[in-house]
Amino acid sequence: MKTTQLHAYHEKHAKLTEFAGYEMPLWYTTTTEEHLAVRNSCGIFDVSHMGRFMVTGPESAGFLEGLVPTHVQRQPAGKAFYTLFLNEKAGIIDDLIIIKQSESGFLVVVNAANAENDMHHITQHAPPGGIEIEAVTASSAMIAVQGPRAMEVLQPLTPFDLGQLKRFRSAETDVLHQPAVISRTGYTGEDGFEVIIRGVTNENPEGALLVWEKLAGASTPCGLGARDSLRLEAGFPLHGSDIDPETNPFQADLGWVVAAEKKGYVGYDEIVRLREAPPDVVKRGVVLDRGIPRHGFEVLDGRSNPIGTVTSGTFSPILRRGIALCRVKNASSGPGDAVKVRVRGSDEEGRLVKPPFYDEKSYGWKRGAQR
Amino acid sequence: MDHAGFEIPDDLVYTKEHEWAKEAAPVIRVGITDYAAKTLNDIVYVTLPKLEERVTQFKTMGTVESIKAVSELYSPISGTVTKVNKALDSHPELVNKSPYGEGWLLEIRPDDFTSERKNLLDPKSYAAHIESLQR
Repeated sequence: MKTTQLHAYHEKHAKLTEFAGYEMPLWYTTTTEEHLAVRNSCGIFDVSHMGRFMVTGPESAGFLEGLVPTHVQRQPAGKAFYTLFLNEKAGIIDDLIIIKQSESGFLVVVNAANAENDMHHITQHAPPGGIEIEAVTASSAMIAVQGPRAMEVLQPLTPFDLGQLKRFRSAETDVLHQPAVISRTGYTGEDGFEVIIRGVTNENPEGALLVWEKLAGASTPCGLGARDSLRLEAGFPLHGSDIDPETNPFQADLGWVVAAEKKGYVGYDEIVRLREAPPDVVKRGVVLDRGIPRHGFEVLDGRSNPIGTVTSGTFSPILRRGIALCRVKNASSGPGDAVKVRVRGSDEEGRLVKPPFYDEKSYGWKRGAQR
Repeated sequence: MDHAGFEIPDDLVYTKEHEWAKEAAPVIRVGITDYAAKTLNDIVYVTLPKLEERVTQFKTMGTVESIKAVSELYSPISGTVTKVNKALDSHPELVNKSPYGEGWLLEIRPDDFTSERKNLLDPKSYAAHIESLQR
């Protein structure tokens, strides 16, 4: 099994699990405790397993422009933006973040489980010259620092004034005197940062471990358990569960990622066709009164007619209720409607909501100082 | 008895699926072991059979759920459910805090505990079973 640069720490302190070919921390104390630390204070995550590619060269901006449904050349340098890789049928190959470091230098961050496939997709569409594609997953570490106290926790490790970094912006700087990229992004719904430390490998992991241990002294280390419950509570999709190559952006409430007047990218022809009519299925959130909805469970309307499927579900530590993202027939239901989820033979009552599941006045990056 | 960080009381019998049974005549009290509770990590939801429901040895009778996973509950004996631990509805974390005490799950009036008991593990065999799983 593959490991990250921080494995020595996880092995000592965490319950480990296999994820996307990596041995990763599932939890250190409990998922609930780690989850609440991120919502109320600050948690740190080892996300070094995520795929990272440098795409550089004079043709790199034009090349990426033709690959994703989001504008690339129009983005200012320093922008970190969410986008999708689509196939010719406009199905979602992966969702990702592109950090535009300069007009000819991009850092592409993708899901660990899809990294190999994405590399194939990128190289397959690459022009013969003018760009270089380099995988930097094994030569860098990535740590997410998330929660209302994230800035306070990370600031002592870097000379860069984190207060200057707006949401979805990124800067090249250093962290404990090592070259690093910091972006104000994350997968929890909270304010926070993702730090990519360059020049650390499994053979020379000390620099990464030093940063992790310093951060851990001022925050709560979190495993993949909390990472999943946090992203679900925020309503963010997980590729492989909520979105996949058979799902198009409009079915997944990701139409906003597809730039209105942009043309000529992979999947564009199908996007034009799909845009003409409302999607057949849509993404919704469900909150149950009892029971925990899980992937694959059936969703029924108030009169017990099947209307869709749970794509991912969990127990929300904030709501103290079972919550889920689901895919339901369009027009069958809107927020507030009563629905049921069949939980191992028992139809549990609940209602449709628009994620995030938490109250945005009390939780998430929109509260407090960011406004 | 404490085994590799897991508590295994001497006065109980066990299933390979990590339930415990304790004779409290005329009923048998049932729960999950410290090993099961620690492995599940934080228990947030427990589904138990209803009162007077029939349960069968080694057949599923409910579920214990953590945030991430669902784990089936298997009955250590055959019989009729006489009591369920109501406190778990609002405080499922009791199973983590005290799996052999306040976090008990249910009580069963056994059909024939004397003969079914032979199918269960004594503390020493259960300890050996846990050890084999950790290897």
